[in-house]
Amino acid sequence: MSRTLKLAAVIGAITSLPMAPSVAAAENLKVVASFSIIADFAKNVGGDRVDIVTLVGPNGDAHVYEPKPADAATVGSADVVLVNGLQFEGFLQRLVEASATKAPIVELSKGGEVLRNSEEEGHHDQEKAAEGGGGHAAAEEGHEEGHHHHGEYDPHAWQSVHNAELYVKNIADAFCAADAAGCDTYRANAESYGQQLDALEAEIKAAVAEIPEDKRTIITSHDAFGYFEHEYGIKFLAPEGVSTESEASASDVAALIKQIRQDKASAIFVENVTNPRLIEQIASETGLKVGGELYSDALSDKDGSAATYLEMMRHNITTIKGAILGS
Amino acid sequence: MRTNSATAIALLVSLSTSAARAEEVTAWRLFISDHADPKVTVIDAIDGEKLDTFEIKGPASLHRSESGRTVFAVQGTAGVVTGIASGISFEDHGEHGDIDVEAPKLAGIEITGKKPSHFVEHNGDFAAFFDGEGVARIIDEKSVLEGKPDFREVKTDAPQHGVAVAYGSHVLLSEPNREKPDELPVGIRVADKTGAPIGGIHACPDLHGEASSGDILAFACATGLLVVSHGDGSPAVRHLPYADSLPEGKTTTLIGGRGLQYFLGNYGVDKVVLIDPTIESDAFRLISLPTRRVHFAVDPVRAKFAYVFTEDGQLHQLDVVKGEIANSLKLTDPYSMDGHWSDPRPRVAVAGDRIVVTDPLQGVLHLVDATSFEKTGDIAVEGKPFNVVSVGGSGQTHEGE
Repeated sequence: MSRTLKLAAVIGAITSLPMAPSVAAAENLKVVASFSIIADFAKNVGGDRVDIVTLVGPNGDAHVYEPKPADAATVGSADVVLVNGLQFEGFLQRLVEASATKAPIVELSKGGEVLRNSEEEGHHDQEKAAEGGGGHAAAEEGHEEGHHHHGEYDPHAWQSVHNAELYVKNIADAFCAADAAGCDTYRANAESYGQQLDALEAEIKAAVAEIPEDKRTIITSHDAFGYFEHEYGIKFLAPEGVSTESEASASDVAALIKQIRQDKASAIFVENVTNPRLIEQIASETGLKVGGELYSDALSDKDGSAATYLEMMRHNITTIKGAILGS
Repeated sequence: MRTNSATAIALLVSLSTSAARAEEVTAWRLFISDHADPKVTVIDAIDGEKLDTFEIKGPASLHRSESGRTVFAVQGTAGVVTGIASGISFEDHGEHGDIDVEAPKLAGIEITGKKPSHFVEHNGDFAAFFDGEGVARIIDEKSVLEGKPDFREVKTDAPQHGVAVAYGSHVLLSEPNREKPDELPVGIRVADKTGAPIGGIHACPDLHGEASSGDILAFACATGLLVVSHGDGSPAVRHLPYADSLPEGKTTTLIGGRGLQYFLGNYGVDKVVLIDPTIESDAFRLISLPTRRVHFAVDPVRAKFAYVFTEDGQLHQLDVVKGEIANSLKLTDPYSMDGHWSDPRPRVAVAGDRIVVTDPLQGVLHLVDATSFEKTGDIAVEGKPFNVVSVGGSGQTHEGE
C-alpha cells in the first residue's frame, strides 16, 4: 500500500470513529492545528472556548516539518486535530500513528474547490475534491493513465478566500461535534469572521483591478499561489514546485529565466518559508528587483506584518501591487 | 526487466485496460556478520532462507545506507570497508513507490586504509574515517553501486579515533586532542570540500557517537550534544548541554529517530536517554533499564517505538512518546557485559513487521512480531551471528512497462 493510500486509510479510520465525547462546559476544547494559518482560523472560530497548540508555527515550513515525540503526545491528548489535507502535511500519517489519538482528524480542505497540481497537468483545472480524500482517487487514476503522479492536487487551498470560508465552516462543524454546548458560539464566531473574509476578498479584487493586465505576471520562490492566481488573476511563476522539499534544478531555473523574459514578468518576491538565495540569483540575472516578502504557507510572528490570515492576505496583495506599480 | 525474489510476497492489486499491471511486492533482507569468521550472510527475512554468503577480509560491523541500496562491512582489523549491493531499491513516484528486487552482490568497491572506524552517511555521501591515519575517505552511493572508486580524501591534523561527515558542500571533521592524541577528539571543525577549515573549533570534549534524524545531525560530547542544522550558506552548529538534573554520565552512542525527530543515546551502563534537540529545556528524558544495556535500535516503521536489549536476555519495547518501557520479552540466556566490550552479544534490527535479535552463542536469530511484541520463531545461522542490518520494504512493480 502506498504512503498516500495508507494515509487515506488512517484518516478514514479515525474520522469514522464516533466523535470524541463533548467536553465538560468548564473545560476548554483541546485543539491541535497543523500550521499557523489553520491555528488563526481556529482561534477566530473557537475564541475563549478553545486551547490551541500549533505544530508548525509562524514562518515554519510544513512541507518539510519533522514531528517530535512531544508533538505525538500533544496530538494524543487532543480533542480535535485540524489539518489542511491534500498531502500538505507530509508528516501527518506517521504523527497520527505514533500518537494513537482518538481525536477526529479534520481535513479542512475537504469539500473545497481544489486545483490539480500544475506540475501534473501543465494548467490548473478546477476539480471538486473527491469524497473521502483526493489522494485515493488520484492514485487509481494515475495507474489507469499509465504514468506516475507527484501529488495530484495543489494543497495551498487557503490562498483562495472562498476556500478559507470553507475552512472556517469545517472548523465550526468540528467544534460543534466535539463541544455541543459551545456550538452557538462557534457558529456566531464563524459568521462574524466570514463577514471579514468577504470584505477581504473584495479588497483583493479591487487591488488587482488597479494593476494593468499586462503587468500581472510575477515570480515567487515556490508554487504556492495557484489558488490566488486562479481566483484573482495574478500569474505566478516559481522555480520550486508545489512542495519546498526538493530544490529546483539548474535546468528548471534556466527555463524559468527564459520564461520570465518571454512573459515580461513585472516583479519578483521572496517567501517567508523559503531560502531567498535562489530568488536573489534569479533577480540578478533578469534585472528584476526583489519587491518584498510574501507569506505563502505560514504567518509571520506576532510582531510581523502577517500575524493573522487577514493581515497576511492584505500584506501580500499590497506588496504585489506596490512592487508592480512602483508605489 | 525487473527480477523479483522468489520469496517476495506478490499481491495483484490492480489491473488496467493497458498492458501494464501493477503488483504490490514486499521484500526484506537481513545482512549478518559473524563474530569470528570474515563473512556476511544474507537471509530473506520473509521466509528465512539463506540467499548468499559473501567472504570478506575480517569480522565486520555493518552499516546500511539510508536508501537501503547498499550495506557496508567495516572490518577494523583487516583495514577495509567492503561495499555490498543489497539488491533492493525503490523509486519514489509520489503517489506510490516502485520496488526493484535483484540478487545481492559485492559492489566491487573496497575502501582501504589503517583502522577504519566510524562510518557515517549523510544524504547519500559516505565518509569512512581511518583512525590510524586521521583521514576520511568519502564516496557517494551512485559510485559504490557502479563499482567506481571515486573517492575523495579529507585529512585531519593527526591520527585520532575520529569521525567525518560529508555535509553538502562542506565536511564536518573531528578535531584531535593534540596534547593527548590517544584520547577522544575535542571538537568539530567545519571545513570546505577539500578539508580547509572554515571558522574555529566547536568544542565537544570526548566526542564519540553521531547520528542524523530528519534534517538534524548530532554529535555526542561529554558536555552534551553538538547539534548541526542547515545554516545560511554553511552548517549551523550549536551546543545543547546536558540538563543539570541528569546524573553523572554521558552519551557515547547515538541513533536517530525515524518518522519522529529525536535521538536515542546510551547514558551510563544501565540507562538510555531520549533527546529532542529542538528544545532547550527538558530536551533529555532519562530511562532506567532493569540491567545493563547491550544494544539498542529505533523502529523505522513504527515511529513510536525503539528497542533496547539488556544483559538479562530481555528485549524491551521503548515508547518514545511516553518515554517509558512499554513491554519486555525474554529472548536469550543472559549475556553479561563483563568481559571485553566487543565480545559476542546480541544485536537488534527491524525488518518490516519483525524485530530480529541475533543470539551469537546459540547461532540463531530470534524473530519477534513488532505489533504483538511476541516471539514468533527463530532462524538458524551458521557460526556466531553478530551484527545485523535489514533492508527492504514494499512497493509496486509494473509488468509490461
